[in-house]
Formats: sequence, structure tokens, C-alpha cells
Amino acid sequence: MARAKASQAAKESETGHPGAIEGIPQPKLDWRGRSNQWGTRVKPGKHGLRLGDINVGIYGEIPDQWQDQTRNPRGAIPKKGVPPLGYAIRDKSDLWAESAADLYEEAIQRRWAPATDIPWAAVTPLNEGLERAICQVCTELCQYANCDIETISSWQHQMAYGYHEVKQYLATASFDAARQFEAFRKRALVGGGGLGLEGPGEVNRMILESRGGWTEAVTYLFLLRGTFTTTMLRYLEKHAYNEAEARLYRYALQDKARHMTYGLEHLQYACAHQEDMSLIMQQLLFIGDRIFARELKDHVLREALAVVFAGGIEHAGTAGMAEYRRMMGDFMRAYVDTCEWLGVKRNPELMPREMTQYLVAEGS
Amino acid sequence: MEQVEGFREEPLKLDWMDRQGEWGMHATTSKQGLTLADIQIGSYGDAPDFSDNMTGRPRGAGVRNNSYRIGGYSVRSKSEIWLDNASFLYEEALQRQWSSATDVPWHTIEPLPDDIEEAECELATFLTEVEFVAGDVPARWISQTTPDYFEPRNVLLAQVMDESRHMDVFRKRALANGGGLMQATGGTAGVVGSIDLARDFTEMSSRLHISGEGAVLTIFRMGELMAYNEAEKAIYRLCAQDEARHVAFGVMHMRYMAETAPERREEIECYLDEAERQILAGSQNPAGAQTASSEALAILLGGGKDQYDEGFRKLMAIRKRQVQEYIKRVKSAGFGERFENGRSNLLGMIQASAA
Repeated sequence: MARAKASQAAKESETGHPGAIEGIPQPKLDWRGRSNQWGTRVKPGKHGLRLGDINVGIYGEIPDQWQDQTRNPRGAIPKKGVPPLGYAIRDKSDLWAESAADLYEEAIQRRWAPATDIPWAAVTPLNEGLERAICQVCTELCQYANCDIETISSWQHQMAYGYHEVKQYLATASFDAARQFEAFRKRALVGGGGLGLEGPGEVNRMILESRGGWTEAVTYLFLLRGTFTTTMLRYLEKHAYNEAEARLYRYALQDKARHMTYGLEHLQYACAHQEDMSLIMQQLLFIGDRIFARELKDHVLREALAVVFAGGIEHAGTAGMAEYRRMMGDFMRAYVDTCEWLGVKRNPELMPREMTQYLVAEGS
Repeated sequence: MEQVEGFREEPLKLDWMDRQGEWGMHATTSKQGLTLADIQIGSYGDAPDFSDNMTGRPRGAGVRNNSYRIGGYSVRSKSEIWLDNASFLYEEALQRQWSSATDVPWHTIEPLPDDIEEAECELATFLTEVEFVAGDVPARWISQTTPDYFEPRNVLLAQVMDESRHMDVFRKRALANGGGLMQATGGTAGVVGSIDLARDFTEMSSRLHISGEGAVLTIFRMGELMAYNEAEKAIYRLCAQDEARHVAFGVMHMRYMAETAPERREEIECYLDEAERQILAGSQNPAGAQTASSEALAILLGGGKDQYDEGFRKLMAIRKRQVQEYIKRVKSAGFGERFENGRSNLLGMIQASAA
């Protein structure tokens, strides 16, 4: 049918356009009838017309390798002779996650604006120690968001367009990070405090320096840092001191949950489709854990979280630290369990003590 | 410190409390909520003219001398990226996010004659390609920009998001009404002089925001003329709203650059020369001379292939408007002299086309 249509259009094109008025150039119309699959009609469903809904026929065929180095949309007829753009990531196993299209639509539906969706007026004065600790935690979270922004945006443009669902989802993920960068800054500046001390930055550097590919970046950014941040946000929500903070942490968690879904699903896909990926990840995490553990030795974030969990300095060294250890225990169990789920074997005896201590010591 | 029963005590240093940023900030909400503009208080509102922040710390945070240098930031001068209304553009972008799945009334699309549907699909294929450029290129600059200039960086992140949505809405349009994607034009290749190859942020912005997106904005604004149903009208209207912010970014940045780095004026004039050489002939302009997308536009504007000539006349009017709007933007950016001192011949081109 498409072929028949193409020849009909070509015939029309040869006969020229009917008016042919002087001064108006003769159109070539050589593009008419040129479609790899004509007759596609996707109707909107209960949730509108979603990105995944239009993956029909050839438009939904996602190859394992995408050789095209131009911006040819998937399913369109490529133009020959177009100079390549040099995309580095052209293998599906290097970036794919089946849920990317759904996560993209979900991110758009669940958009929020820190300016208007957080009841900032609910932030009331707190004791100085607590305010300082919240500001310190928000500063670190700002820096984590900055790392998300810089990491994702440095890889985005290297991904081939055959996998536009992933590129589009990552556009929402970096935008989420921009919003978090902004929202945590706002919290630090609204309650009589200010920004805290910058973080040590060693883990940030490790994530940004993931030169081995996007999958390596995902391993550090989502599996290691992401699991930690998600756990921390859950505890912060539990210890929010007003509705503004509760909503802020909840919204951030909601964003983070999407990031984790993409990240873990991609790692699972990469492990399933690349023979030695789980071994590579094991090696990466062997190194990454040590860097992460070195940063755990830094007392600033630990103390700030303990003060937040204890409601002030007074009980921070006792009840606050006990809650911190519970948080770290939750983080470590989630982290090790996820590695196991991915098929990445971890031997706790080879992991740094600064991390494994939380697998056994809980509460006190 | 009190010992709480049942817990082992861990001594705290708390030295970090004395090393934090400026203290005592009480940002207050304005009519639009707590906006970025509302938190430009105390030293936190001072974006430095030159950033020596290589550790990625949030502007105004306390400095650790032993912190790792994580950023190989190439954009570290304020004049290279700054604009005065970035906070406003970012907040507007957040408020005006829309969903191509649910905010476009797809059910209003009815079957169209083949020639019209083909033209729609060719235009949609082209616009999908163009939006790829506008998403990829800003992303690359974001990671190279110091977080001290997070306001413009956040606007660029919003732009990447917007372009992603534009990509998907035009793909959806091509597949929603009995058509399909057609032949790509390849007009967005990374050849010399293209947006991709810019080595400087302002160079990139002049090509992407002022010239490229400016031309596309004019087309979107004329969407009523070529839309055949409410869905298409909504698509053009919503995209125009986003595109207007991107163009505003370019204009305001160029204005800031002109005011604060006069030594770079001549260099900027060169970028504008280049943009003007391509403004009508360039293959990244949907209404560019004799391209597949401009032919498709003429069919849509005329109401079918049999009214091509009528459509072409309307297309000429659109091209004229593209040039007029471009001139207005460049004047607003502080480079209007080029239209009076003979450097630019765009006014002549308009007069010639009118004759």
C-alpha cells in the first residue's frame, strides 16, 4: 500500500503543480509518497496519547544497534549523504530501560513547582542547632542534585536518537534535578539560616568521572548514590518539622523513585545483554564502595542528620545517632539486596567496614 | 550533653556549624510563591563576575579547602552566559509545563485529504529533527557551566525538557492520523557553521536561540493558518509559548553580553552575519527556500497541493515576518546598528521581496 501510494505521488510530482504562476518556483515535491510505513493511526487511550502508545509497527521496532549517526527520527526514511554527528552510545544495551517511555510521561504528569507547591509559610523558627543542621543537609542535597545535573547532561547528547525514549526520559530527570537544586536552596534560605558547608565531593567526582560509559555512570549515580539519597529522603520526611519540609522531601522522593526505576531497570537490561556486565559492575562497586566509605568518615553530614533526627543538638549524639545508624542499616540492606537482585555478587567481607558495620549494628 | 538511656553516645564535633555560609536569611514569598528572585538575598544573590568554584558547591555555601575539584567548567565568566531575567524565565517554564499526552485534544483530529496529511507528516518529521538539535546542544553546555550561574543553567535545563516534549508531540502528530513519518531532511547535520559546532556559548546561543528558534517561533505563531483541527492549533500554541522563552533567553543574554563585554561586540556581529546568511536559505528553517518542509508548508497554508501558489504567497509573508521579527530581536539585544550602517542587508531583502 505504501509503495502504491509512493508511485501515485511520484506521478503527481512529475506532472508539476497546477497553477505554475510566474515568479513562484516550481516545487519539487520529491518528498511526497516517501514513508516507510503509511497508514498509521494511533488513537488516544484513557491516559491520553502517550509516548509508548505510538510505538506501533515499524515505529516501535527498537534495534539492538543504531548505526545512524544523524538525527533521523526512528522510522523515518533517512537522507543519504548526511555528515555524521558522532554519537558515542549506539547500542541498546548501553542505555535501554523498557519503562523509559512510561517514566517520561509520569514525570510530566507529576510535575511540581517549588515556588507554589510547597507551603513555605509553614516553615516556622526552629532552635538554632536544628536549623543549622537542616541547612547543612539541604546544602549537601543541593550538591547531589548538581551532580545529577552535570552527569546526566554530559551524557545525554552522546546518545543516539534510535533510543529517543531514554533521551526524553533523561531530559525529565535532569529537569527534576534542577528543581531539587532550587528547592533545597530555597529551604536553606527561608527559615532564618543559610547554606551550610560544602560536601567533600569525592563521590561526586567518582560519578562525574565515569568514563567507561553511561552504564558505569548509572551504577554510581543511581545504584550507589541514588539508594543512599532515597533512604536519606525517607528519613528526612519522617523527621520533617513542618508541612513545607514534608512535602519537599515527598516530592523529591517521588522524582527519585523514577530515577531509581530507570537506573535499576537499565542495569538489569545491561547485565542481561552484556556477558560480563555483572562482573564489571562488581569491580566498579568494589572501587566505588571504598570511595563512598571514605566520604562516610567525614563527620559533617552524619552529625547534621543526627541533629535533625534528634530535633536539636541535645540528643543528637545518642538518639540522633541511633536513628542515623538505623538509616544506614536500611540503606545498606537495600543496596546489597539490589546488587543481589541484579546478579552482582557482593561479599560483605570484602566491603569496607565503614559500610558493613551498619548491616549488623542496628538501633543502639 | 545528656546521656539518653539505651543509646550509646557518640561525641559530636559540630565544628561545621561555624563554617557555614552567611547566616540569618529570611526569604519571603511574593505573589507568585517563593520564586528564585525571592531568594536572591544577602550574599546569596551575588553571582560573581568570574567563578573560581571548581568543586560544584552551591553559590554562597561555606568553602572546604580540601574539597575535590569536580568541575572542568569552561563557562566561568558571568558575561558568557548571564541574563537579567533568568529567574523569571525559569519560574515561568515550571509553571507552564504541559503534557502532549493529555493537553492536546487528539480526538479532534479527523481524516484529512492525502496531500494535506502528507504535508503535515513531512512538516512533523522535519520539526522532530529540529527539536533534536535544540535538546542536544544546550545539554552539552549545561554540564560545562559552573553552578555559580545556576539561574541560566536551570533555564537551559527547562529548555531541554521543553524540546523533548516538542520532539514527542510532533512524532505523535505524524502517527495519529493515518500517516507516518516521512523522509528526514538531514538539515540538522553537524556541518561547519551549524549550531552543533559552536565553540562558545554566546555563539551557540546566537545561532540556536536568536536565529534558529526565532524562525521556528514565527512558524508556530502562524500555526492558526496551517492547523486543520483543534489538536494542531493547541500544539502550535503550546510550542510557541515554550519557544518564546528560549528566544527571550538568547536576546537577553546577548544584551547582557553587549553591555558587559563590549570587547566582544565585533565577534558577536560575525555570528550574526553568519546567522543572516542562513536565515532564509538555511536548511534548519522550516520555511527555508525550496526545502521539503517549505513545500509542505505551502501545501498546508494553501489548503492542498492544488492551491500551492496561494500557499506559497502566504509562505512568503511568513518569511518576511521571520526576518522582521529577527531584526526586532537583534535590535532589542543591542545590535540594531548593523541594520543602519550597511553591515546587514536583511532590510534590503525585505524590500526586494515586497517588490
